[in-house]
Amino acid sequence: MVTFNDAVAEFFGVEEFSPLVEFAVALVGAVIVGSIILTIVGVSAVWFKRKLNARLGDRIAVNRVGPAGLFIMPADALKLLSKEVVVPEGVDRASYLLAPILAAAAVIAAFAFIPFGSGLQVADPETGLIFALAFASLGAIPIVMAGYSSKNKYSFLGFEREVAQAIAYEIPLVVSALAIVPLVAYFGDTDTPLRMSEIVAAQQGPLLGIEGLPVPNWFLFAQPIAAALFFVAILAEFSRNPFDLPEAGSELVAGYLTEYGGVNFVLLFLAEFAAIFFGGALFTALFLGGGSGPFLPAAVWFLIKMFAFYVVVQWLRATVPRVRIDQLLSLGWKYMLELTFLNLLLTAGVLWVVL
Amino acid sequence: MMGVLKSLGVTAKHAIKGDTFTVEYPDESPHISPRFRGSHKFSLSRCIWCRMCEEVCPNGTIDIKTNQQREGEEYNLNLGQCIYCRLCEEVCPVDAIILTQHFELNAGTKAELEYTKEDLMDVPWYKGMDPLEAREPDRGAWIGTDEEEEVWEPAGAD
Amino acid sequence: MSVVTRRHEEIQEKIENELPDAILDIEEHQNAPAIVANPSRVDDVVRVLKENGYNHLSSVSAVEYENRYESVYHLRRITDDREDFDEINVVAHADRDEPAVQTVSNVFKGANWHEREAYDLMGVRYDDHPDMRRILLPETWNGHPLREEYDVDQPQYTTLEAHANPIEERYEVDEDESALDTMFINIGPHHPATHGVLHLKTVLDGEVVVDVEPDIGYLHRCEEYLCERLNYKYQIMPYPDRWDYISAGMINEMSYARCIEELADIDVPEYAQVIRTLAQELSRIASHMLAVGTFALDLYGELNVIFMYAFKDREIVQEILEDLSGQRLMFNYLRLGGVSYDLPEPREEWFEKIRDFTEELPEKMKEYRTLLEGNELLMKRAEGTGILEPEVAKEYGCTGPILRGSGVGYDVREVDPYSYYDELDWDVVTKDGCDNLSRVQVRLGEVEQSARIVEQCVDILEDWDGEQEIQSRVPRSVSPPAGTENYTAVEGAKGELGIHIVSDGTEQPHRLKIRSPCFSNLSAFSELAEGEYLADMIATLGSLDLVFGEVDR
Repeated sequence: MVTFNDAVAEFFGVEEFSPLVEFAVALVGAVIVGSIILTIVGVSAVWFKRKLNARLGDRIAVNRVGPAGLFIMPADALKLLSKEVVVPEGVDRASYLLAPILAAAAVIAAFAFIPFGSGLQVADPETGLIFALAFASLGAIPIVMAGYSSKNKYSFLGFEREVAQAIAYEIPLVVSALAIVPLVAYFGDTDTPLRMSEIVAAQQGPLLGIEGLPVPNWFLFAQPIAAALFFVAILAEFSRNPFDLPEAGSELVAGYLTEYGGVNFVLLFLAEFAAIFFGGALFTALFLGGGSGPFLPAAVWFLIKMFAFYVVVQWLRATVPRVRIDQLLSLGWKYMLELTFLNLLLTAGVLWVVL
Repeated sequence: MMGVLKSLGVTAKHAIKGDTFTVEYPDESPHISPRFRGSHKFSLSRCIWCRMCEEVCPNGTIDIKTNQQREGEEYNLNLGQCIYCRLCEEVCPVDAIILTQHFELNAGTKAELEYTKEDLMDVPWYKGMDPLEAREPDRGAWIGTDEEEEVWEPAGAD
Repeated sequence: MSVVTRRHEEIQEKIENELPDAILDIEEHQNAPAIVANPSRVDDVVRVLKENGYNHLSSVSAVEYENRYESVYHLRRITDDREDFDEINVVAHADRDEPAVQTVSNVFKGANWHEREAYDLMGVRYDDHPDMRRILLPETWNGHPLREEYDVDQPQYTTLEAHANPIEERYEVDEDESALDTMFINIGPHHPATHGVLHLKTVLDGEVVVDVEPDIGYLHRCEEYLCERLNYKYQIMPYPDRWDYISAGMINEMSYARCIEELADIDVPEYAQVIRTLAQELSRIASHMLAVGTFALDLYGELNVIFMYAFKDREIVQEILEDLSGQRLMFNYLRLGGVSYDLPEPREEWFEKIRDFTEELPEKMKEYRTLLEGNELLMKRAEGTGILEPEVAKEYGCTGPILRGSGVGYDVREVDPYSYYDELDWDVVTKDGCDNLSRVQVRLGEVEQSARIVEQCVDILEDWDGEQEIQSRVPRSVSPPAGTENYTAVEGAKGELGIHIVSDGTEQPHRLKIRSPCFSNLSAFSELAEGEYLADMIATLGSLDLVFGEVDR
């Protein structure tokens, strides 16, 4: 696995760039990743989501604007962006206006650490996994800002829920992800098992290193419990169904989003959808072997897996109801936390025996 | 968790089947029963100005004005106020007023929905069309005997 | 009948022994005898009746006469045994100038809202009532609209003081320490779960509801006033469709038809009875489908699959009903003495449509049960929330799936049969859970039972070889004798839908009171919701299946 900069350097046949060129190349890489993410979010949030939900619910959905309704995307974007920015009376103005920008920025920045494969990775620090998870949790802060500054009781309740939820699922999220790190060190034979590219690289061989096994060494198979726990934790962390309590359409109107409209709403909405894809990207990198797959380029496989995660999330959204706040918290603190630690200990124990 | 997985299975089954129950409305017209009660058709040539419809109308949608000799002068119908209960058609002894299958009604102001007898003859969907046609095959049940069918002349045709 | 009469005599004797001066007179109403009680002792009379098994206060209606006002109480024995079913009325006369009657809300909690309504619309005061405020109309309203002297054209002046922002004072922090721990929140009228017609004044302690007060009247159209100015024979019939306007129209029409047919002594041919029964049960299926769908909507938020599938199946029923009546919701299909027209031609095709639906239904019900009862997450949300104990339910006059979900098998179709129900084979569905889940389960069960009834009706109609008489001969002008009155109920999709008609010998009712099941069910809402989480309060609201056209009328 190589970063985008290495790939470009190799293409030009140079050993190393000067810092300025390095920066410029990184910027180009960031633009490429950012565009991919924004395109995917645009397609999925505006068009694909409707189509998928309609399909699940025996309906037709958008099909008027352009072929198969695809032009609904520019139409919706135009509609939302041309709306007046309404700032309600009595809000904490600075925080109210800053929150959407922060929300979108935080989640898009987080994609820098994702190894899309085919050399497409903007940054690959030694502690990539920790960085990525830190950015994942950063998303809670703009929501708190938005909810608190809105001066609306529904928004207030929404952000309260978000805080409780984010804290409850932070530890399970990190610890369940950590359970794969010993495996990375073992299979990848590396000193920096937190590096995202190493995590992907460690999943390339056959399952558990047994030669001839047709199943790849994806940590989904090697660490199924961690995968399940991580999946639940990431749903809760990004408040997707069945854990979408901060928004809770039928209870809190729209939670922290209630007072937002126009471009501010677009940014918050975008952050929310980008977060699902970020969750998908993390899950793909940690448990689905990153871009590994036959025939197609690694980056394409990565995007396919990421999209599959999104489909599963939407499918769940249509099928399962929202849990209650006390159920959510008791699941987080009483079960998830213990199970994740148990799984970590188990992994360590097994590896200790094996080694 | 089995229940959740089963539920997911049910939804997946629906998604794969791909049946839809919604209708692409203006392109594909929804199911409209022959008995549907839509906008009114009024026949000036049949009306005998007995004012039964005006009397039975529960909310005063129909407004009839006659002269001293009890000959009809005005027949006003406020479609915006009508509740489409079909009582006027039910009591009419000569089938002069009938509710058609037409339901696409729009207007910019309330006043535009107040139809006079000229309007009621002139509305496009009345022209050259027998509003009872849609009521086949139980048309007899609606207009009585078969002989009456021959008497029928679509308003606006002349 | 003789059993009932004897029981009436016994109870009358008992009251006379216990309360010597309470009974002033005995009147005969069409449905049951009416005890004319001393207006200041009426609560004692009702209490004795309650102690003797009349444990369900159906409705309270106020009636205006030239020289007095009357407050009429309709009591029933809630029981699942048909032999034991019985009803009795209590009448209290009130003064013409200053009408006042003793409240019975200390006997039946459900009387609270009914009496507030009577005060609001008719201006009869109830002494010692805990909360004698208007309920349907705004608090600043002038006059009582159902009174004869009320001028509909009178302008409604509201002083600036009364117009002041009602929540303004709440911006100031309350000095009281305990108030600092709670939050007041207005849920609705513009809230996804109340969709513009209900306002819940809620006090939250964190996420827990400590106090909730429903504020209704947003959809009040004075249906009773309208009906009192229309003719019995044709003109009233279109309006019942607009009470419970989501697809239960046939049952609403039946409630009116039943009351007036008994009062004016109109026969209904058997053929028409079968068609009526068929139409009503199709209506009930459509209504319950919607109830299940919207309950899921309140749990899931946005468009979820259960809601969609329920609508999909409801659509089929509506098409069948449209073929029959000509419209999807506002049927106006029933007539006094029958129905307005025969089954649609070709009949076989229409029967085929119904058969297709009932044959596919078990498969669909299995899907619903997988999605609702099978889904652990949903069970976690629905089980044990919104608890309504059977005693509390009876106290508030809850009926329908709400009451049957609390384990009381009271179904008007069973205990006081009408239409063709008596001849058919079906069961009353009850569940003992007393929670949101059991209410939904009852509805699912009732859909299956309704489908059974529909199948039987189709069989009967297919093999019908007698005369296909859809209407009996009804006189040109229907006018029941002056001074007669009747209260009858049918099993509406939401519960006991009763109509109280007082005739003055003209073609129009002197008083037409609608006993709406949703109104009584909603009055118990604070009992259900207090102490629950906010999320469960919304789910409970969904499980009550309220239609505000019927609550507010």
